[in-house]
Amino acid sequence: MPVDQIVKTVVFVIFTVMTLGGGLGVVVSPRIFHSALFLVLSFAGVVGYYVLLDAGFLAAVQLLIYIGAIAILILFAIMLSRGLMAERQSQSNQQWWIAALVALLIFVVLAAVLWRVDWPVASQQALASPSNAISQEGSQLGRDLLGPYVIPFEVASVLLLVALIGAVILARETES
Amino acid sequence: MPIEIPTLNFIALAPPLIVIGTALLVLLFDLAVTDKRVLGYLGLVGVVIAAGVSIAMGPRPATTFQAMAISDGYALFFNLVFLATAGLSILIAIDYLERHDLQRGEYYALLLFSASGMMLMAAATDLIVVFLGLEIMSVALYILAGFNWRQLASAEAAMKYFILGAFASAFFLYGAALTYGATGTTNLNQIGLWLSGGNSDPMALVGLGLLLAGFAFKVAAVPFQWWTPDVYQGAPTSVTAFMSVGAKGAGFAALIRVLRSGFGDSAYSADWALAAAVLAVLTMTFGNLAALPQKDVKRMLGYSSIAHAGYILVGVAAASESGVRGVLFYLLAYAFMNVGAFAVASALERRGEFSTTQRDYAGLSQREPLLAVAMTVFMLSLTGMPPLVGFWGKLFVFRAAVEAGMSWLAIVGVINSAVSAFYYLGVVVQMYMRAPAEYSPRLVGEESDAKKPAAVNLEVAIGTAVLLAMLLTVVLGLWPGPVASLVTMMPLG
Repeated sequence: MPVDQIVKTVVFVIFTVMTLGGGLGVVVSPRIFHSALFLVLSFAGVVGYYVLLDAGFLAAVQLLIYIGAIAILILFAIMLSRGLMAERQSQSNQQWWIAALVALLIFVVLAAVLWRVDWPVASQQALASPSNAISQEGSQLGRDLLGPYVIPFEVASVLLLVALIGAVILARETES
Repeated sequence: MPIEIPTLNFIALAPPLIVIGTALLVLLFDLAVTDKRVLGYLGLVGVVIAAGVSIAMGPRPATTFQAMAISDGYALFFNLVFLATAGLSILIAIDYLERHDLQRGEYYALLLFSASGMMLMAAATDLIVVFLGLEIMSVALYILAGFNWRQLASAEAAMKYFILGAFASAFFLYGAALTYGATGTTNLNQIGLWLSGGNSDPMALVGLGLLLAGFAFKVAAVPFQWWTPDVYQGAPTSVTAFMSVGAKGAGFAALIRVLRSGFGDSAYSADWALAAAVLAVLTMTFGNLAALPQKDVKRMLGYSSIAHAGYILVGVAAASESGVRGVLFYLLAYAFMNVGAFAVASALERRGEFSTTQRDYAGLSQREPLLAVAMTVFMLSLTGMPPLVGFWGKLFVFRAAVEAGMSWLAIVGVINSAVSAFYYLGVVVQMYMRAPAEYSPRLVGEESDAKKPAAVNLEVAIGTAVLLAMLLTVVLGLWPGPVASLVTMMPLG
């Protein structure tokens, strides 16, 4: 095995441990604040996957949005909610084994399907063509967002507006 | 590098855009207007305009925005269903919110946003747009379900709906992602082309299954119905009226387009028809059996709405043009009779109470004869009695099932309708054959009029909603021809 393959494999294993370990930590940690921190770890592992797959833009987006925005927002929400920081409680109840069984079943089904799929592999030539170069990735995305995907782009802003109004309604002090 | 100007055919999406614009206007006027009822009427004007534009556009298919959405007869017909529901729900809300001290301008804005999401779902020809429409509709409904912030039950309804709804969205997204992975496109027609070319892929089949599960949540089909009774009971009645028809209709609108445009001509068409048939049987039977022992009328209507999702699934399972037509007719009928029933229920709710039990209907024929007649019409129509509009809806979907060689499914449906007569007619019996209940004060400070029977709050707007819904239920039942022929002119584009 060539050296760069070995390095890639080792790095892949590290990122996998981060992703899966982080995910497990989210579910079993008794403190919700720790769960949120484990979530950051898990997201960071996924960033590593994207880097390994040469998807630089996706990696940056994953880092900025999932870790930079979503996870931080969750941490803020926990810190600002009264009593949530100190609370310790088990995340499982008597039915945890049923849930685990169902999760395992779904995993087996999905894994079996993904195993059987005949994944199309792009030729080295196609990967090397300038339209797929990483430097093009971002500008192509921008072009698409204002081209074919202009309506989803606009509609998403309506969705955000609705969510914003909803948050204001829920958070507003109730009169009387 | 040349910049390509995308084709922007805004006209094709005019109805949802008008509704979104009205919602923004409502938000704006909310700052200036002190009597929030004005905002309700403003919303109503927007709804009427959007409905008029939908009718004026006619069933000429016009794709828009690089085939992201289409304005075909199918989408326009669904626009009418959603706008009728939204309009009647606004009429109910204008008085209902006033009585319960819940009057706020954002209510009408959120309701309109939610309706625009439904309309986008019906028009979407791309899974991305379907998802965005679904989320706009759902996020607005989560907030509306919790709008009655003084009541714990309402907060519980919002929380339950939100968590299970988010779960359903995750199913949908996973399904969409796997479908994209298999076919390389999110466009429904492209997916259809890829699958009809004899291609098949286990990933596409799993994607289809997950999409189906996501939609089953939204339309409250068994086994994804557990949230329904609690949410319908806890949410303000004016919201329940809107979402029982709107969210269900939008779920079916997008489901049928995904199944027929995307997976219709594929190796999996027999699979999803069978899955829909199984879901239909489970959903009808569970909904009706669970509705039987209910004392709370709102909860009973919640279970009954599960049963109706089952009847509509019969039309989906038929997997034919006539099945789609049956579903269209059924949903329009359901809009009038179900919103009407909730309108009566909300008229009977006393100040400070948020549900009505069977006892509240006792002797209604003596206290409010008109309201009793209206409720009787809605109950009979929901049962499927001729010559009311509910009968024709059931006839069309069951006939489609028979034509598709699924007579057994139609028979199960008919048996279920007979079962449903028990609980629907139970309300009628209460209204006509029981003496009015003594008014028992349940609020502090109301001891003074303890001897009076429960007062009925039939204000102008709610009364209009009840009357309109009743008229349409009766007239479309006696004279179903125009709508039935309209439905045949509204194929999927």
